[in-house]
Amino acid sequence: MTAQTRNRWWPWAAIVLSLATAFTLAMVSPADDVQGNLVRIMYLHVPAAWLAYLAFLVTFVGSVAYLLTRHFRWDRIAAASAEIGVYFTGLAIVLGMIWAKPTWGVWWTWDARLTLTAIMFFVYLGYLALRRTTDDPIARANRAAVLGVVGAIQIPLVHFSVVWWRTLHQPPSIIRPDGPAIQDSMMLVALIVGVLAFTVVYVSLMVKRIELIHLEDQRDAVERTADQPVAGEAVTAPDLGGPS
Amino acid sequence: MTTGFWQQAKAVSGRDLLRERRRGDVLWITIPFGAIALLLVPLAVGTDAALLREIGPGMYWVIVMLFGVLVAVGKASSETLPQQDASLLLGLDPAAGFVGRSGAATLLLLIFEVVVGVVAVGLYDISIIGIPWLIFTLLTAAIGLALLGTLTGSIVNSTSAGTALVPLLVAPLSVPLLLGATQSYEGLRLGHSIVSWILLMVVVVLVVAIIGVLTARPLQET
Repeated sequence: MTAQTRNRWWPWAAIVLSLATAFTLAMVSPADDVQGNLVRIMYLHVPAAWLAYLAFLVTFVGSVAYLLTRHFRWDRIAAASAEIGVYFTGLAIVLGMIWAKPTWGVWWTWDARLTLTAIMFFVYLGYLALRRTTDDPIARANRAAVLGVVGAIQIPLVHFSVVWWRTLHQPPSIIRPDGPAIQDSMMLVALIVGVLAFTVVYVSLMVKRIELIHLEDQRDAVERTADQPVAGEAVTAPDLGGPS
Repeated sequence: MTTGFWQQAKAVSGRDLLRERRRGDVLWITIPFGAIALLLVPLAVGTDAALLREIGPGMYWVIVMLFGVLVAVGKASSETLPQQDASLLLGLDPAAGFVGRSGAATLLLLIFEVVVGVVAVGLYDISIIGIPWLIFTLLTAAIGLALLGTLTGSIVNSTSAGTALVPLLVAPLSVPLLLGATQSYEGLRLGHSIVSWILLMVVVVLVVAIIGVLTARPLQET
């Protein structure tokens, strides 16, 4: 199976798993004793937040790899991942706000996790804005890579904010030293299916976006060189003495 | 230019400070701007003395972060491409250039912090407590902001957005420094330990310094 054939399966896998998530969260998972049906938002909010971490971590890895190798493939990976990460961070924030209004009584509270997540969103929005400020691919890749490394400082800050500060946002529910805090197995299944589905959606979007960025780079290269002589200014066409 | 790393950094630092002495950007523009901002806040939130005493330290640090960083960014992004090429041809180590520019910016930021701090104490009636820790916090925040501003200035230098992009990049990244500085003061006021906040600021300073030194060359190449 070639890479191109394999890549064609990702969107289908994403659709199937997304449908499985919708079914599991709506039909299989029970309502929570305290939160009622509101808990179902968590099956989308948690995977979206997980994807934000994953995407920005990939941006960090891509940025470091670009600075070390200067291969544009890494820059494309970092850029694609940052775009997807910004989208999923926004989604996690919006879903969290929808859940918070009936639960906490407010759309927003000055909780460390919430505030730092919003800040992380703006850091990577800045990263995307920076990429649009120059047409030179080398300058763009170099500058974005440096910001991709600096911006990664936010990732541990956001993740450990619920441990370092006494926050309203609950601490980690699954990855904990003493095992998952979720007791109901169906709830855990719904959450794991959601995380899996979102991860496959991420891979699927990454594959497509990297292809697109590659094509955009090729188009930009053609546009940059279209009005320039093929062999540069040093070479002129020979005068063969024909009619001018 | 075949001098050592620190001599190169000192030369760059001296050049930036000389330029500041001639132009007076920080003294005549940034410091008055910060002082005006401190003057405007009570007009917006009310002039109750107790309220101003309560929010004063926080407002001071927000203004230091938002306005002070312009000091470092201005220095880092003021180099034109021909000047950068000349530095490269002279054999200036880009890392030494980064350290030098950050050094000059640190000194200017300290002046900014002290002058605006005096204005804040006067206007908001802020009590000065734990002087050794306060000095350490001011110094760490100045170094951190200078490093962050210099790095960001180098990133945006000669891009089409120029310094317009800087606030979007710097403001979120300076949050750990803002948290460290404000919470240190709050800890001192309440008699709590502030070691973890100081540690947070020091770690941020070290991380940004390392990234700045390691990425100085790729940034100068473009």
